[in-house]
Amino acid sequence: MSADTCRVTLELFEGPLDLLLYLIRRDELDIWDVPVAHVARQYLQYIRAARELNLDVASEYLVMAATLTSIKSRSLLPRRGEGDEDEDPRALLLRQLVLYRAFREVSGELREIENVWRDSFPGPGERGRWSRDTAPMDPGQASILDLVGALEELQADRLPPPPARFERPRMSLAECIVDIETSLKDRGPMGFRRLVGGNAGPERIIYYFLALLELAVRGRVVIRQTSPLGELTVAPSMAAAPKGAAPE
Amino acid sequence: MILDKLAREIEAIIFAADTPVDMETLTRITGALEDSVQQALDRISGSLEEGGHAMMLRRVGSGWRIVTDPALGEVVSLLFEDRRPGKLSRASLETLAVVAYSQPCTRAEVEEIRGVGCDSALRTLLERNMIRIAGRRELPGRPLLYATTQEFLLYFGLDDLDHLPRLDEITELLQTPPEELQRPDHPEGEKASPKEDAAEDG
Repeated sequence: MSADTCRVTLELFEGPLDLLLYLIRRDELDIWDVPVAHVARQYLQYIRAARELNLDVASEYLVMAATLTSIKSRSLLPRRGEGDEDEDPRALLLRQLVLYRAFREVSGELREIENVWRDSFPGPGERGRWSRDTAPMDPGQASILDLVGALEELQADRLPPPPARFERPRMSLAECIVDIETSLKDRGPMGFRRLVGGNAGPERIIYYFLALLELAVRGRVVIRQTSPLGELTVAPSMAAAPKGAAPE
Repeated sequence: MILDKLAREIEAIIFAADTPVDMETLTRITGALEDSVQQALDRISGSLEEGGHAMMLRRVGSGWRIVTDPALGEVVSLLFEDRRPGKLSRASLETLAVVAYSQPCTRAEVEEIRGVGCDSALRTLLERNMIRIAGRRELPGRPLLYATTQEFLLYFGLDDLDHLPRLDEITELLQTPPEELQRPDHPEGEKASPKEDAAEDG
């Protein structure tokens, strides 16, 4: 088997059972009495070839390879007593093969029916099934007045137009930094919320937070958080601001 | 054949309906008895056929509908060109077959028979309204149950689920436990008897 046939065929298979049925048919084997050793060998050859080609072998194929190998090895071992006999994997596989083969044949028959009846078209009442439009309303269900009413409603709750000018934030990081340092110096350690102020908007909170990070990087403040998502406590760093003697 | 009043009424109702019309609806609307309606349906069918019309009366599930003769499909489909979904893929068709014969069934049951994952095939079939969710199986995880739809019958021109090809054979196959499965040719066939050496060997 050349690498090319393998490449082509593996993509044609609808899974491991399909591949197995193909091997059984190709080698003219009896599905009711499959020589497992032979089939397992052929099957594994396929999988190996596929892997050599770096094809992505779906895990289902590998599970089947394991099943085949296990059945093969089981058949080599002496049979144990019936007591501990769980379901015979060979019988299970046979059932799978026979069932899958039946369904594959039936899908073929359904395909033929599909080919015939797909070309039969229903009356106009049912045509909506293929229409790209949404289902139409019944005639008389709406009038021109409804249309006018809908338009008026729209105009009534029209929101004021969005402002065309946006104000630039009047804050700057430098200001925030100064503000934080002053507050800390005057009032000592405090929570972030108090630092920002009671009813600060999101913009102010973000600016203050950035400023705080900047101060932390510079080693001028120490930030503590006792629990995840808890309040931040901010204190002036001892090293940075020994009372009185400002560095630089 | 000239149709009588009842047959004409029924023909008009079926033609105008947006779904196949069932017997209950026909008797209710026309006020006629079931027998008369059935005979009228036969007359409509006969007259369409006799007159060489392009339309035919078909039973779908529990209802009737008027459709064009599939022999004219090539011409008519030009009208709908890009509005029709394509044919079902092989994976979808196989999955649909398994659902049709073993419904209601779970995804795991379908996958066991096909030996491959069927997630995307089931989703395609749901989207195309060939199958529907028919509840949950009372198992751990309460998996969804799938069953076929009326659209499925319409699409395949099946009168009802009893008209699925090889229904008895496959139903029996589905119900046979693996250890009782036998070659169909000789139903009383010699059971290859591995049971004889049941004696425990140490």
